[in-house]
Amino acid sequence: MEKTLIIINKVDEINKLAEFIEGIGEELGLDFKLIMNLNLVMEEAVSNIILYAYPKDVEGNIKIKVIYDNSKILFEIKDKGFAFDPTKDANDADIEASVEERRIGGLGIFLIKEMMDVVEYERVNDENIFRIEKKIYNN
Amino acid sequence: MNLEIVKNGSKVTIKVIGRLDTTNVQEFDKQANPTLDEKPMDLVIDCEALEYISSSGLRVFLTIQKKLTAYKGALLIINMRPEIKEVFDMTGFSKIFNIQ
Repeated sequence: MEKTLIIINKVDEINKLAEFIEGIGEELGLDFKLIMNLNLVMEEAVSNIILYAYPKDVEGNIKIKVIYDNSKILFEIKDKGFAFDPTKDANDADIEASVEERRIGGLGIFLIKEMMDVVEYERVNDENIFRIEKKIYNN
Repeated sequence: MNLEIVKNGSKVTIKVIGRLDTTNVQEFDKQANPTLDEKPMDLVIDCEALEYISSSGLRVFLTIQKKLTAYKGALLIINMRPEIKEVFDMTGFSKIFNIQ
């Protein structure tokens, strides 16, 4: 199966993303926790694009394609913003740091890497393509 | 997302209701800041009705903890659902906060 959602770079669009993912999760009969985690990683990936990919006050599209079956779910997120490789450019969060030392950034990409099985980025024809995949173990 | 704020002497309880994500962290700040500006010495965040948290929400919690640490106040987080506790565990936030 394959489904596509196109949103613009406005923070409120995250609500559409959440509905989209919950719909797919229910269709696949995924448990609540996995749906929440998928929601979380996609919010992290997409909010990063919404906030930083395009120049301020420039409207841009974000295309989210989901390819899924009973064994895996693959999200492909495309935007035409500034080139940005979240797998390389982002600083990973230091999860051992104390409260005073703990930095605010880097958590999103850390959560994506922690929760997903495949995390890939490529830049093709002036487009950022970010692919993240989760294997599903349904009994 | 909504907050229910209960004051009882020097103890303040903030109950977070709904989803805490990128779309509403500003709303959280708007609702909580007047209370946080009063520098409560005992602050409890009740997460019983918190359904979802993303890294934007974690940052809000971290900012509150930093504020309280600076003036030697105490923050306690209670009634966290297991799925949300797991996000705190994964990010090392469980070690930063006092969670019961």
